[in-house]
Amino acid sequence: MSLLDLSRWQFAVTVMFHMTFPAITVGLSILLSVVYGMYWRTRNPVLLQVFRFWRRIFAVGFAIGVVAGAVVTFEMGMNWGQYGARTGAIIGPIIGMEVVTAFFVEAGFIGVLLYGDGRVKERTMFIATVMVSVGTLLSSTWIIAANSWMQTPAGYDLVDGYFEPVDWWRIIFNPSFIWRWPHMVVAVLISASFFVAGISAWYLRRGRALEFARRSLSVALGIAAVLMPLQLFLGDSVSGAVLGTQLSKLEAIEGNWEGGNTGFVLFAIPDQQAEANIAQLDIPCLGSFIAKDLTCQTGVPGLSMTDAADRPDMAATFWGFRSMFLAAVLMFALAFTATVLRFRDRLWTAYRFHRVLLWTTPAGILAILGGWVTAEAGRQPWVVFGLLRTDDAVSHLAPGAVLFSVAGFIVLYVVMLAAYVAYIVHCVRVGPERDDPRLLVDPVHAADHEVAR
Amino acid sequence: MMPTLWFCVVLLCFLMYLVLDGYDLGLGIATLLERRPDRRRDMVEVVAVAWDGNETWLILLGVSLWAGFPAAFGTLLPHVYLPLVVMLFGLIVRGVSVEMASQRPESSGWVSAFGWASLVTAGAQGFALGALGSPVETTSRAPTWFAVVCAVLLALVHIAAGYAHAVRKFTGELQASAAARGRTSLIAGAVLFVAVVSTMQATAAPLDLATPARAAAFTGLLLFTVAGVVTAVVAFGTASRSVVAEKVPSVALAVSVVAGVLALLAAHYPTVGAGFDLASAAGPHNTMTFLLVGVGLNIPLVLGYNLFAHHAFRGKAERHGHLPTGHPSPEGRRVNEHEATH
Ligand code: HDD
Ligand code: HEM
Ligand code: HEM
Repeated sequence: MSLLDLSRWQFAVTVMFHMTFPAITVGLSILLSVVYGMYWRTRNPVLLQVFRFWRRIFAVGFAIGVVAGAVVTFEMGMNWGQYGARTGAIIGPIIGMEVVTAFFVEAGFIGVLLYGDGRVKERTMFIATVMVSVGTLLSSTWIIAANSWMQTPAGYDLVDGYFEPVDWWRIIFNPSFIWRWPHMVVAVLISASFFVAGISAWYLRRGRALEFARRSLSVALGIAAVLMPLQLFLGDSVSGAVLGTQLSKLEAIEGNWEGGNTGFVLFAIPDQQAEANIAQLDIPCLGSFIAKDLTCQTGVPGLSMTDAADRPDMAATFWGFRSMFLAAVLMFALAFTATVLRFRDRLWTAYRFHRVLLWTTPAGILAILGGWVTAEAGRQPWVVFGLLRTDDAVSHLAPGAVLFSVAGFIVLYVVMLAAYVAYIVHCVRVGPERDDPRLLVDPVHAADHEVAR
Repeated sequence: MMPTLWFCVVLLCFLMYLVLDGYDLGLGIATLLERRPDRRRDMVEVVAVAWDGNETWLILLGVSLWAGFPAAFGTLLPHVYLPLVVMLFGLIVRGVSVEMASQRPESSGWVSAFGWASLVTAGAQGFALGALGSPVETTSRAPTWFAVVCAVLLALVHIAAGYAHAVRKFTGELQASAAARGRTSLIAGAVLFVAVVSTMQATAAPLDLATPARAAAFTGLLLFTVAGVVTAVVAFGTASRSVVAEKVPSVALAVSVVAGVLALLAAHYPTVGAGFDLASAAGPHNTMTFLLVGVGLNIPLVLGYNLFAHHAFRGKAERHGHLPTGHPSPEGRRVNEHEATH
């Protein structure tokens, strides 16, 4: 393995690990704001219980998200020093805006959100909670602007291999930002919805904390029912933008080597060297339908149309996209089923459906990771598409040092992820009963109360 | 002109980080020296409400260096790759364990993890700063020793700051022991600082005191450092007397840290770290304008958020109590056990 491969693996591992946490926390922070706002107005104790329970899961996820994000930022200089030096004049200020408009807002108010309940006024609590969600949304905005500029660079000047800004408006609102930003924001809301729905479904199956579980499930599936169709539309628009600006990525997504296939490749094992698929399974005509031609005549482009030196790795791009796409189809079906059940008044008793929901708790998170693999692996071999190659972006470090850091991050992240999952399981087992303000008068008797019910 | 202005912003981030995260890293290390579990937990609680805001200054430091001086960012960071990686390991464990320790008070392992991770982070940062004082291409071992001394120095300064903060946050016995230990670590730190400054001549970043103006600035600022240290050492002894007296050690310490950094800077400017000249690393004009207007104008707001966060949790830590915050408490366990017997 070369130095470049090691640095790529390290970046991929650390950034995917980071992404897992915003996929949970952005949506949860918005849920927390809404629930606390409703509690503040209605004083319904169940709402406070919902708030406190989800806040526990949010708290630790947020902390891991923060420290994992710091890692990614420093890697831009440590492992990708050439990238850092060459694009810094453009990417640096964008991330700088993210730090001052988003990270400090989150950091300033998170302490109150997590520990302020009972110590500060309710109004202050509410404002702090809202500010944290505003921060997470702004953070997504700036980071997507930075990444989109790398996908579809605009408004720059290239001087001796160094990028210089010319028009900030065009840099930030670059061609792919317009579609990728809504796609990303909707994605994190969907992933949080399925996360909440899965855990609530567990309580419904167990017949525990029913009032709490129904509230949570109802909100989560309601959001999913509205956003899933929207996301299919946004995803299709993103694909359209990729077709226009990053043809090589789209070719790799489609999974064909030769152009002209009117079918949709459902399964493929690509062989990059041989420029052919070892195995392949098509759905006839679907490719043409997706391209909005119902006569089954429009074919999709193939990867051999791109120069061998400029081709992304088909397997990573293809399977990244397939995981996102299949998860999307699954989540759409679930949101649809839930709506039907709700209208028939059977949502609370559909135990088999609850079991499916429990298993799909991480579906949205997996779709997000798949989407990012598509976007980033499909951009290869470029870091800044068409302008700066990944192998020109890497720092010249001692391979031993990078080996040490890759191994360290992997070990550390596996342990942290295990600890987080164990923590969630623990919180769920203990249950939301302890968060019920009606029972918290006296902790000792609160437990007895629970037994008596 | 604009690069110099932006450099002031970078410097501000550095100082804010050093002072703010200094006390919470120091409190973290201090938990290692504390035996009683309830006290260790109280110390963790003090950090839990503030660490995120403090650490964000480190991120702004990295990003403002990147944005304003891209070439420096892309050269200096690979130069100190290993210490930075170790620092990141420390920060990860620290952030996770502080939140875990306050959410699950029944498991004491996270408190220990938090303490060790704080020590590793502080040491790695000191080492990285020391290593930046040596040339980019070097094969000799001497710079490594210099960096090790810097690591110990930074850890000691942080510990002193941590205890100074503890003096403000606690009362009674805990306050008294914090004052005594704070004083010891501060004196040790001061001795080591003298050692570092006097051996600096042998590194790649020798003090440049050729012009009278430089020499005057250097000695003038150092006087502030000395005054700060002396004040803090004395004030640690009188801290329990009044609500004003207990704030003196931390303020005096902050003054001396800031003055110390500025003194060293005055003796090096415009060269920073590994012989890197700032002017040659500055980004283009368009970037500087955007930074000063967009990011720079937000800095007062950022300071406001920091103030708000510290204000919300002002006063003694013990007073805040643990309930009814919907916060971890023994009843969590009990419900769990009852659940298990079903
Ligand atoms: C969906 C949005 C999203 C995406 C695509 C990213 N992040 Fe992120 N990031 C967040 C959403 C977020 C967030 C929601 O704002 C945080 C705060 C806590 C958390 O879990 O995620 C966060 C925290 C966070 C932090 C710590 C902030 C603090 O101190 O409060 C840093 C330094 C980064 N991120 C940097 C990055 C980098 C360099 C990314 C690119 C690879 C990145 N993030 C992708
Ligand atoms: C959280 C969101 C993100 C995820 C999950 C993600 C994921 C990935 C993955 C999986 C790779 C490796 C691709 C490969 O090697 O084939 C990669 C590469 C890269 N990404 Fe991202 N990315 C994200 C956001 C960003 C952003 C916002 C930036 C820049 C501002 C960025 C900069 C890079 C760079 C410089 C590389 C090149 C290194 C490489 O090829 O491995 N990424 N990313
Ligand atoms: C069938 C529906 C969908 C289609 C056609 C679709 C299409 C795409 C395409 C083409 C990309 C690559 C964009 C680029 O490289 O610029 C992408 C990226 C991505 N997708 Fe989807 N997507 C769909 C559903 C989803 C769902 C349900 C989620 C998550 C819940 C999701 C999350 C993401 C993420 C996080 C990215 C990476 C960020 C980005 O590039 O914008 N997508 N999607």
